Amino acid sequence: MWEFLARSLEASMIFTFAGLGELIDQRSGVLNVGIEGVMLFGATLGFIAAQSTGSYWLGFLVGITIGGLLGLLHGFFSITLGVDQVVSGMGIWILGFGLTTYIGNPYTGPLGMERIPTILGLSPFFYVGIVLVIITWFVLNKTSLGLRIRSVGENPSVAEVSGINVARTRYLCVITSGMLMGLAGAIYSLDYNPVWNYNFLMGWGFIALALVFFSMWNPFIMLGGSLLFGTMWQLSLSPELVLPGVLSRYIWRTVPFVITVVVLLIMSTKWFRIRWGAARPEALAIPYVKE
Amino acid sequence: MRIGNYEFYLEKRLTLAGWQAATISILAVVVALALFSLIFIQAGVNPLSAYQEIFSYAFANPYGLPLSINRFIFLLLCTCAFIIPFRAGLWNIGMTGQFYAGSLSAFAVLFAFGARGSSNLDLPPGIVIPLMLVAAALGGTVPGAIAGFLKGRFNTNEIVVTMMLNFIAFWLVSFMIKEGGLFMNPGGRSESFDVPSSVHAPLIMGTPFTILLALGIAVLLYLMFAKTKIGYQIRAYGQSPAAAEYAGISTFKIPLLVFIMGGAIAGLAGYHYFAAVPGVYKIARNYVQFGDMAFYGIICGLISQGNPLAAIPIALLFGGLSIGGRFIQGKLNMSFGLDYALLGVLMMTLVAFQFFYRNKIVWVKAGKERADVGIPS
Repeated sequence: MWEFLARSLEASMIFTFAGLGELIDQRSGVLNVGIEGVMLFGATLGFIAAQSTGSYWLGFLVGITIGGLLGLLHGFFSITLGVDQVVSGMGIWILGFGLTTYIGNPYTGPLGMERIPTILGLSPFFYVGIVLVIITWFVLNKTSLGLRIRSVGENPSVAEVSGINVARTRYLCVITSGMLMGLAGAIYSLDYNPVWNYNFLMGWGFIALALVFFSMWNPFIMLGGSLLFGTMWQLSLSPELVLPGVLSRYIWRTVPFVITVVVLLIMSTKWFRIRWGAARPEALAIPYVKE
Repeated sequence: MRIGNYEFYLEKRLTLAGWQAATISILAVVVALALFSLIFIQAGVNPLSAYQEIFSYAFANPYGLPLSINRFIFLLLCTCAFIIPFRAGLWNIGMTGQFYAGSLSAFAVLFAFGARGSSNLDLPPGIVIPLMLVAAALGGTVPGAIAGFLKGRFNTNEIVVTMMLNFIAFWLVSFMIKEGGLFMNPGGRSESFDVPSSVHAPLIMGTPFTILLALGIAVLLYLMFAKTKIGYQIRAYGQSPAAAEYAGISTFKIPLLVFIMGGAIAGLAGYHYFAAVPGVYKIARNYVQFGDMAFYGIICGLISQGNPLAAIPIALLFGGLSIGGRFIQGKLNMSFGLDYALLGVLMMTLVAFQFFYRNKIVWVKAGKERADVGIPS
C-alpha cells in the first residue's frame, strides 16, 4: 500500500511539472496543446543522453534544454509569426511523436542504470515539485513579474501601452514552460518508469493540458488535481493492489481518460462557470499583433 | 529589409486564390522533403537515391503499389474526417479512436453472425457487407458524437476530448481482442478472429471497393461545402461562431453534426483497413500502428486547406511516402519509424508555412516609390 501511494505521488509530480509549465504559458496568453510532444522529446533525448553518458544530471539537462528549445519554437511560431497557436501546438505534438519514435527506437528497453536515490521513500522530484508550485504561485501573484505576465495574458494591448514588452514577456513564459514540460518528460523516462517504448507516454501530456483548465489557472488547485490524477493513473496501472479481480485491466486503463472527460464536462457547465469561472486569461490563444 | 538592390517587406494577404494556396502547399511539401533528407544524410544514405527508392517502390512496384493504394484509401477517409470539423473551425484529432470504434463495430456484425467460430463460414455477402459498412459508420459516430455534443452543448475543449476518446478506444480494442476478449482469435493469438472468406470485400482490379466509397465521399463533401445550405452554415460557423449564431445558425447543431459526419467517415476507414484490405482481414495485433497513421489525416487536411478534392492527390502522395518510407527503412537497415519521422517533419514545416497563407513577401527595387506609402498596413 505504501508502495502504491509513493508511486502515485511520483506520478502526480509528472503531471504537476507539465501542468505548471502549461499554466505559466496560458497565464501569459499562449496556449500550447503540444505538451505531449515536448514531454516525448524531453523524455527520449534525456533517456538517450543519460544512457550513453551514464549521468543522470546530463539526462535531465538535455531534457530541460530540448524542452526550452521547443518552447522557443512554439514562441517563434505563435508570437513572432502569429500562426494559430493550436496549429503550432499540434505541430509540436506530431513532431515529437513522429521524430522521437524514429530517434528512440534503437534504445528500446530499460535504462539499465542504478535508480535515483529516494528521500524518505519518495523521489526527490516530489519535493522539488511542491517547492516549484509555491514559487510559481508566489511569482505569479506577489511579484511585479507575475503582474506583467498576467496583464499580458489578460489584455496585451493595454499592457503594451503601459510599457510592458509583450513579446519578451511571452517568450520568457513559453521558454520556461517548455523547460518544465521537458523536465516532466525526463522525470518520466529517467525516474518514474525508466524504460523506452513506442509512444510510451500514452496521453500524460493531454491529461496535463486538461488539468490546467481544471485548475482555473491556480497552481495550488493544479497540485490538488495532479495528486488526484496521479493516484488514478497509478490505480489504473495496477488495480490489483487495491481492488483485486474487479474488471479487466484494459478497462481500468480507460478510467483516467473517462474521468478527464467527465471533469472537463463539469467544468464547462454554466453552473460551474458562474460559480467558479472568470479566471480564464482573456487573451488566451489570441495572437497579438503590435499596432 | 534590404538585400542588394531590392527591398523586401511583408504584406498581409487579404485574399488567397486557389492557385496561390496550391503553390504554397506544394512548396511546403518540397521544403519538408528537403529537410527530411537530413535524416537520410545523418543515417549515411544518399537522399536522392532514397527518394527514388521510395517513389519507385510506392508507385511502380507490383508489391508496393497495392499497399500504397490501400493506405491512400485509409488516409483519404481520415482526411475527410478531419476536414469536416476543420471547416467549422474545430479540431478532430480523434480519427484514431473513431477508426478503432468503426472496426470494432464492423467485427461485432461478424460476431453476431457467428463468424468467430470458423473462417470458412458461408455468409451472404450481399447482406453482411452492407451491414458491416453501416455498423462501422455508426461505430465511428459514437466517439464523434460525444465530442461534438460536448462541444456544442458545453463548449468543452474538443482537442482534449477527442484525444481522451482515442485512448479509451485504444484500450477497448485491447479489451476485445486480447486476454480472452469476445473478439479474440480462437487460435489464442492476441488478435481478432479472421473475416470469413465469403464476406471478404469485393475487389476491383485488386483494389477493395472502398476506393470508390472514399473518392465518392470526397466529391460529395466538396459539393456539400460548395453548393448546399448546410455546407454554407458549417463554413459560416467556422469563420465566426458568434456571427453564425446571430445569423440564426444553431451553435449546438453544427459542432454535433460535423463531428458525427467526421466520426462516421473515420469509422468507415476502420472497415476498410481491417475487413477489406487483402492480406489483413482481422484486427491486427499491432493495430496501434495502423491507428496512429490516422494522424497523417491532420496533415493532409491542413495542406489541402480543407478542400476535399485537393485532399485526393495529397493523400495519394502521403500514402505512397509512408509505405515507401517503411520499405526503405527495412532495405537500408535504418531505424524503425521513418514514416513517423516524416510525419513529424511534414507537420512542422506546414506550421511554418501557415504564415505564408496569411502574409506574403513583396520586393521592390530600392529607390522606387512604394505604392502604399502613407497607408498603414
